[in-house]
Amino acid sequence: MSAEPDPFLAEHIHEALSRDQRVNAPELRVTVEHGYVHVDGVIATEERKRAIADVVGEGWHELRLDDRTTIADFPPDGRIEVV
Amino acid sequence: MLRLAAVGDLHVGVDSVGQLRESLVRLSDQADVLLLAGDLTKRGELAEVDVLVGELRELSVPVVAVLGNHDHESDQQRALTQRLLDVGVRMLEGSATVLEVGGTRLGIAGGKGFGGGFVGACATAFGEREMKVFANASMLAAAAMESAVRSLDTDLRVLLTHYAPIRGTLHGESPELYPLLGSYLFAELADRSRVDLLVHGHAHGGTEKGATPRGIPVRNVAQPVLRRPYAVYGVEPGRHAASRGGDRWVDAPVG
Repeated sequence: MSAEPDPFLAEHIHEALSRDQRVNAPELRVTVEHGYVHVDGVIATEERKRAIADVVGEGWHELRLDDRTTIADFPPDGRIEVV
Repeated sequence: MLRLAAVGDLHVGVDSVGQLRESLVRLSDQADVLLLAGDLTKRGELAEVDVLVGELRELSVPVVAVLGNHDHESDQQRALTQRLLDVGVRMLEGSATVLEVGGTRLGIAGGKGFGGGFVGACATAFGEREMKVFANASMLAAAAMESAVRSLDTDLRVLLTHYAPIRGTLHGESPELYPLLGSYLFAELADRSRVDLLVHGHAHGGTEKGATPRGIPVRNVAQPVLRRPYAVYGVEPGRHAASRGGDRWVDAPVG
């Protein structure tokens, strides 16, 4: 029989991704479902994206990470909006 | 027409070297001023702001900035501000600056701002000391910014904050987070003072475009929202008062 899932787990992981100095990204969205941690949002660098896996792996090794974050490397579009 | 480039939430860290420089190369051709809407750094460390300074070094347009919550993480916000002032960045915190660009006088007032919420769902300065401190922080920030805006006798006036002034540019964020993302007080002071444009960051999951109740354009320039290195807004003196129509998009010369 499997243990009851922790209904507060997503917020514990969110807190870790906010506080851990390798990531420091409280803006990321975290959900936990069926043994997966889903992390979504924009992260500034590749190094910080890798650190998401480290933080989740160190704290919750029994869960699998579904990292949906994208790195902030956006092309210019040359538009001007007249406001 | 003045061209204001704006972006927030760059979250520059020691791992960001070279990341911005390439995207900023053409900025001087596309805009007259760069506004930075807070969260300049990942965790508010001096080493991080030094990286930002390096990234901005080649830029030939004036830079005006406010700090964000990330820039307060290491409690070194004064030193960060001084480091940026030392290289010519105009830092605002309940203050204002004036630039003269092509014969137009541009006034920019601003500050980090704070949370508190929006009409109908607001924190009030009542009860516990902690709640009073929380609610009063936005009130004090708004009062300082209003005083700064009113000191501006310029052709154009822009209010630059990190925290959001309206719900409209938060659409996409969880409504439960709204009180942590901004305060109506900044929109109220902008409407009262009739500024021409509000620019803010902070709400990564929000929406770029909104307006205050009086129709003043509000733009959320958090980079995750823009999904481009920066936005460029063209602002003309007097246009705001004359017309509140839909957005007009034009192509900027490239290269």
